[in-house]
Amino acid sequence: MKLCEFIRPATLAQARASLRKLGPKGMPLAGGTALHFMPGKTPVSAVDLTGLALSYIRQKGNFFEIGAATPLSDIQRYRSPRWAMHEICRRISTHQIRNVSTIGGNICRVFPWADLPVVLLAMNARMVIYSGKAKEMGADEYFSSQPARLFRNGDLLTAVKIPVLKAQHGFGSVKATRNAAAFSMVTIAALLELKDGRIAAARVAAGSAIPFPKRLRSVEAALLGKEPSSETFRAAAALAGTDAKWCKQEGMSAEYVAGLAEVSIVDALERAAEFARGRTA
Amino acid sequence: MISRNSKSFSLSCRVNGSELEREIPSSRSLLDFIREDLGLKGTKEGCGEGECGACMVLVDGLAVNSCLMMAVQLQGKELVTIEGIKGKDGGLHSLQKTFLAEGAVQCGFCTPGLIIASEALLRRKPDATLEDIKLELTGNLCRCTGYEKVLSAVEKARRK
Ligand SMILES: Cc1cc2nc3c(=O)[nH]c(=O)nc-3n(C[C@H](O)[C@H](O)[C@H](O)COP(=O)(O)OP(=O)(O)OC[C@H]3O[C@@H](n4cnc5c(N)ncnc54)[C@H](O)[C@@H]3O)c2cc1C
Ligand code: FES
Ligand code: FES
Repeated sequence: MKLCEFIRPATLAQARASLRKLGPKGMPLAGGTALHFMPGKTPVSAVDLTGLALSYIRQKGNFFEIGAATPLSDIQRYRSPRWAMHEICRRISTHQIRNVSTIGGNICRVFPWADLPVVLLAMNARMVIYSGKAKEMGADEYFSSQPARLFRNGDLLTAVKIPVLKAQHGFGSVKATRNAAAFSMVTIAALLELKDGRIAAARVAAGSAIPFPKRLRSVEAALLGKEPSSETFRAAAALAGTDAKWCKQEGMSAEYVAGLAEVSIVDALERAAEFARGRTA
Repeated sequence: MISRNSKSFSLSCRVNGSELEREIPSSRSLLDFIREDLGLKGTKEGCGEGECGACMVLVDGLAVNSCLMMAVQLQGKELVTIEGIKGKDGGLHSLQKTFLAEGAVQCGFCTPGLIIASEALLRRKPDATLEDIKLELTGNLCRCTGYEKVLSAVEKARRK
């Protein structure tokens, strides 16, 4: 995609007003690393979001709040006892791309290889959208289809709120790749809540090997009330085919991808359980 | 290539230590701006899509792929290209010296990008481990050296 104009608003309200005035010719621009993934012969007017104080990470009550224009490298480096977002961020592309790519850019237009939607679905994150005033949307609704639908009228994502993990929570993510910086073959994220040695709640999401990131509801249902053991995880993962139609990829048949996905689900669940045990111990 | 319907943008930034003001087309990529407008040919174009690292430069001290950025995104920022990497005495930088000493340069196409990525790491983490160096250089492809000599060059520069 080519730019024909670069507009640098001073406030969020100005950014929205510019985008509304420009209509389909306008585009919010964060890191700009996705420009070459977006075909389109008509040049667009870019409205820069990097000067709007939207780059921050802070803990506020029960949430970590990440500004929409926060680069992935900052999320990767951030540490806090109940924070797990760095794990996936260090697996996204290269350090140099993470220095520029933002969390907003990753989730406002979801590409098939995007990893953050998978993690945010599992974590039950909340997205803050500015439409003259701030409104919040849960991950299930936000990722129910391409989120770009929400930003066509000049509205903007301003922040992502991630629930702080409680002592009984465990989180794990797995990204299967051919080499360190490659696109994902399959990405899985799992959040478990343990109570009295059993799984009281579970959110498991997948991406990359399916057309659009989604939760694996049959897998989640099969985990409830069970002990967090390898047998439980294997039996639940075997149901993933009910929720997701795994797609063949370059050099991989659909059966191979299904097998890889199952193993990755088990790994993500093992990691989540280990995380939760570490916290409850 | 200048798009005919591209509006120009008044860019002001710092390039290799000097202030720069320039009217540029909004459609200019940072890589084209560096090579074609500024004539700084040390920054290379390999893949043009963020895979090889030959185009790496420092923007406000962070290594970035200039093929993935637009020149307008440089507004108010500081750009350092390989031409701006020097030792304190104005001669070769310690990384350039160790790359030469270790034989970490063959055809040299990837070398500016590797030096930039390594410099960004050592500025941020002067005591970087071998693992840190490997991770940082994930975004730099070299088709000649096999990487071993590159890794030992960065390790040696770290100690200087
Ligand atoms: C070589 C390469 C490999 C990559 N590999 C991976 C990978 O393995 N996994 C992965 O997850 N990602 C990967 N990425 C990153 C991903 O593909 C996108 O390039 C990146 O997430 C975009 O972020 P950005 O800040 O540069 O967004 P931009 O390019 O600035 O914007 C992307 C889209 O989001 C919109 N947008 C941005 N911010 C907002 C906002 N606040 N409100 C409304 N709309 C907004 C823009 O209008 C645009 O449509 C890779 C990128 C490259 C170049
Ligand atoms: S030319 Fe920019 S990464 Fe290859
Ligand atoms: S020295 Fe030739 S590509 Fe690295």
